Amino acid sequence: MKRKVMSVMLSVSMAAGLLASVPMTAGAEEVQEITWMFWDDLEASEDNITKGFKEVIDRFNEDYDGVYHVTPITTTLEEYYTQLNALVDADETPDVFIVSPGPNLTDYVAPGVAAPLDEYLEEDGWKDTFSSDAVFAQQTYDGQIYAVPLNIAAACVFYNKEIFEEAGVEVPETYDELLEVCAAIKDAGYTPITISAGTAWCLSMLAGYLCDREGVDLDAINSGEESWVNDKTIAAGEKLLELSQYFQETAAGDSNDDATAALYFEEAAILIQGSWAIGQMNGANPDFEEKCGVFQFPAIEGGNDPNRVIAKSDSLAMSSSTESPEACIALMKYFTDDEAQRYTAEVGGKIPVTNVEYDVSVAPAQLADVMDIFSNATGTFGFYNESLVSSDAGAEFDNEMVAIFQQEKTPEEAFQAVEDWYVEEGYR
Amino acid sequence: MDKLLRDKKAIILFVAPALILFTVVLFIPIGTSFYYALCDYDKTTRSYSFIGFGNFIKLAKDPTMRIALKNSLFFLVFSCVSQLIMGLLLAALLTNITKGRNVFKNVIYLPCVLSSAALGLLWAFLFHAKVGINNLLANFGIQGPAWLYSTSGFITLPMWVIAFVSLWQYVGQSMMLYMAQISGINKSLYEASYIDGASKVKAFRYITLPLVKPMIGTAMSLNAIGSLKFFDLIYSMLGDKTENLKMDVLATYLYRTGFSSKGGNHYGKASAIGVILVVLCLLATGIINKLFKTENYEM
Amino acid sequence: MNRTAENEKPIKISTILIYVFFCFMMVLYLAPLFWIGMTSLKTRAEIYKSPFGWPEAFQWGNYAVAWKAGKLGIAMLNSLFVCVVTLILTMIIGSMAAFAIARLKWKLSGAAMIYIMIGMMIPVHCVLIPLFVRFAGIGLNNNLWGLILPYLTFSLPTCVFIMSGFFRSIPNELLESACMDGCTIYQIFFRICFPLARTGLFVTGLMTFIGNWNELLLALVFVSDDMKKTLPVALTKFVTPYQTNYDKMFPAIMIAIIPTIVVYCLFSNQIVDGLTTGAVKG
Repeated sequence: MKRKVMSVMLSVSMAAGLLASVPMTAGAEEVQEITWMFWDDLEASEDNITKGFKEVIDRFNEDYDGVYHVTPITTTLEEYYTQLNALVDADETPDVFIVSPGPNLTDYVAPGVAAPLDEYLEEDGWKDTFSSDAVFAQQTYDGQIYAVPLNIAAACVFYNKEIFEEAGVEVPETYDELLEVCAAIKDAGYTPITISAGTAWCLSMLAGYLCDREGVDLDAINSGEESWVNDKTIAAGEKLLELSQYFQETAAGDSNDDATAALYFEEAAILIQGSWAIGQMNGANPDFEEKCGVFQFPAIEGGNDPNRVIAKSDSLAMSSSTESPEACIALMKYFTDDEAQRYTAEVGGKIPVTNVEYDVSVAPAQLADVMDIFSNATGTFGFYNESLVSSDAGAEFDNEMVAIFQQEKTPEEAFQAVEDWYVEEGYR
Repeated sequence: MDKLLRDKKAIILFVAPALILFTVVLFIPIGTSFYYALCDYDKTTRSYSFIGFGNFIKLAKDPTMRIALKNSLFFLVFSCVSQLIMGLLLAALLTNITKGRNVFKNVIYLPCVLSSAALGLLWAFLFHAKVGINNLLANFGIQGPAWLYSTSGFITLPMWVIAFVSLWQYVGQSMMLYMAQISGINKSLYEASYIDGASKVKAFRYITLPLVKPMIGTAMSLNAIGSLKFFDLIYSMLGDKTENLKMDVLATYLYRTGFSSKGGNHYGKASAIGVILVVLCLLATGIINKLFKTENYEM
Repeated sequence: MNRTAENEKPIKISTILIYVFFCFMMVLYLAPLFWIGMTSLKTRAEIYKSPFGWPEAFQWGNYAVAWKAGKLGIAMLNSLFVCVVTLILTMIIGSMAAFAIARLKWKLSGAAMIYIMIGMMIPVHCVLIPLFVRFAGIGLNNNLWGLILPYLTFSLPTCVFIMSGFFRSIPNELLESACMDGCTIYQIFFRICFPLARTGLFVTGLMTFIGNWNELLLALVFVSDDMKKTLPVALTKFVTPYQTNYDKMFPAIMIAIIPTIVVYCLFSNQIVDGLTTGAVKG
């Protein structure tokens, strides 16, 4: 009788299996099916870069109709890597997936999940279309390139020209001038700086700039030659605290979106943000485009080279277990072709990775300024939270910066906490 | 007859699906969870290595865990007490009126059947720093408090806000439970007490309350488990801001430790939090059942 | 219960106070819902500038945009599929087990009941990780069946508990006469007991359906494919670390809760009483 039970159970589970397969897409005949994983919703998103990616996908599927077909898998940014890891564990690694350079990419390069791309890049001059070999710097491991960058965003200071005029101040070039500017704007009745501490990476970006301007040597800290607790980091922490008196009152709870809105609704004068925010600002309030200026994050006197810029690129990696590398490469090429790159500049507000010509008059007014800053930069560095030993270390750094802002910890205590974390996790 | 009811084949056929499901989807994973809790999970190699109580020792020293535990216990106590008081009050008042009783009852119960995720988004907007209630207050020249992002105090303001929102959403459930119990009380008891000159308040104290007591146990255990599991509302109201705002509860901390891109993928540590959660649930229901010894009640 | 007393006396102050109190409660409960309706018809700038005002012009287009952008149609179908399948399976498997435990005679029935009841006290969180890891391994993540299995399992205890109560209350004579007529045990269950426990099934069905319809955590963790997301997950997508689309979020909330509200209004008495019965027995 047990056998009968088993057979009932089996047939039930088989029926379930049959049903389960129904919602899946019908099997492909000769079309090479690939998947592409991305961290934003292609339909719902208002992000211009995302919209551009959707166009690329649609264009690819249309042009290669009957040959290749790509199906996007999308998640939220928050859960992206978890879901990606789950797919990797299930041996269903998406054929092509987006990834941030830095420790996140390393997580896929080290166990061999991502495939080296050099042979494809060398082929038919694909690599030559890129603006320079330097764009691959963060994607290269032991001389081999494991991901293709799609765009570059630079973090700059956006400001409201009208408010600056009203307060009678000029663009600050040094940190001390920045403080004076903030004081004058506060007197004029505006919020000097709008920032989100609710979304920790926004605050962490400012902290990263301050650390770099102070001359913090991140490589030495990561490798253990130096401690997180040193004069430079503490000075940066103190400056963060000093600037926080000029933040909007609701900074602690505001999301990134709220903080950006305060700039384009002209309540606040200064926003430190990546250039991806340009599209969002101009889209939400078109009148703001001409009032919006951009400047380089100010220098700290006696500190580091003030022409260094925080840059971040979205990159695509290819699964080493993909069955159709040709389709994957063809897809990647669509992301870096002239049409996609022109869109990146003209609509997306990010810096293209190729030498594409684009219409400056169509591109957002702010992009020219960003390009200026970027081309004059003597060097770039990544987001601090993406440049540490692991993504967890980045999260720890973010949290300690928020703790400084909320005055729960002094800068010494906060950086000591990061150092303790390194010790505890065995990086020392 | 007796032979039919002892038919072994039938018995197995009837209970096997449920028991197999329970074993496969619930008990084996719980066992695995206890095992994972004693392991360290390596993200890059995706492997587990046994480390004994390492995760628990780590959690004991973890300030976020302390916050999560504190907040969860606060939710537990707040929800048990507030649901008891409000639920009983609403039930007692409702049984005292006849006209409109159904309407009131149904409206108050309504949020119980709605999605917490949806209602959370609504309340998050109403308690937004600028646009919601604070915008209304600003019209009268009052600066509204930092409803959802104040971090001062032992139990922070956002915690109270969310606790009250959950009371708002779920008090209907307790109210209905108590109402069912109160309407089951024999009316002659009240009539006798009124003849003896007892006031309504006294009747409530000496008749209603003792007779409702067994239901208090049931309702409170439901509240206790519900508040320890508390996730939907807080996640939809605060999203990924819980950590920096010191607003974590056990469920959100477990979720983030296990699944978030920011500091996630620590399956071992997350399982340890899960184990603590189960133990708390069992403890809470045990204690409540001891306090309000439930007699058998049939509808 | 005090009807006689109330009718004899003139309206008392305490009664007026009770009504005032409940009117206040009505505002507290209905105003937010009414207000989402208003806000869902505003432009984004309006939402920021005058969140409590009357909309300048009704932006019905918001709904279309939210419906399309949030893929709410698909999300709703997914939710419906998951909930209906879970509902049916729970009722069948649950009442079968309940029948065996309540009416059939075997030694371990008490133990089986306890085994199943433990499930009521265990929150789903603690099996989240093992299930996620296991499901990822066998391709059940990103699959609606991966949601149905745990939903089913966690709906069973309540179902078994409620249904066994109903089966116990069926008089013995009825079963005996059926037995005399030559019914098999299966016929007794499917033809006699199952239909007799209609009320119980209705209650169980309601609890299962509503609980799973609103479930967020499992759905959030197990499904990343857009085409397989359930309604609560689709809603949370409107708030991301990068942006909050209020003008899409409010219509989406409305779209998500209106069906529930409509069904609730139609059957409110049955639902409220049914759910309470369920909870009391559970």
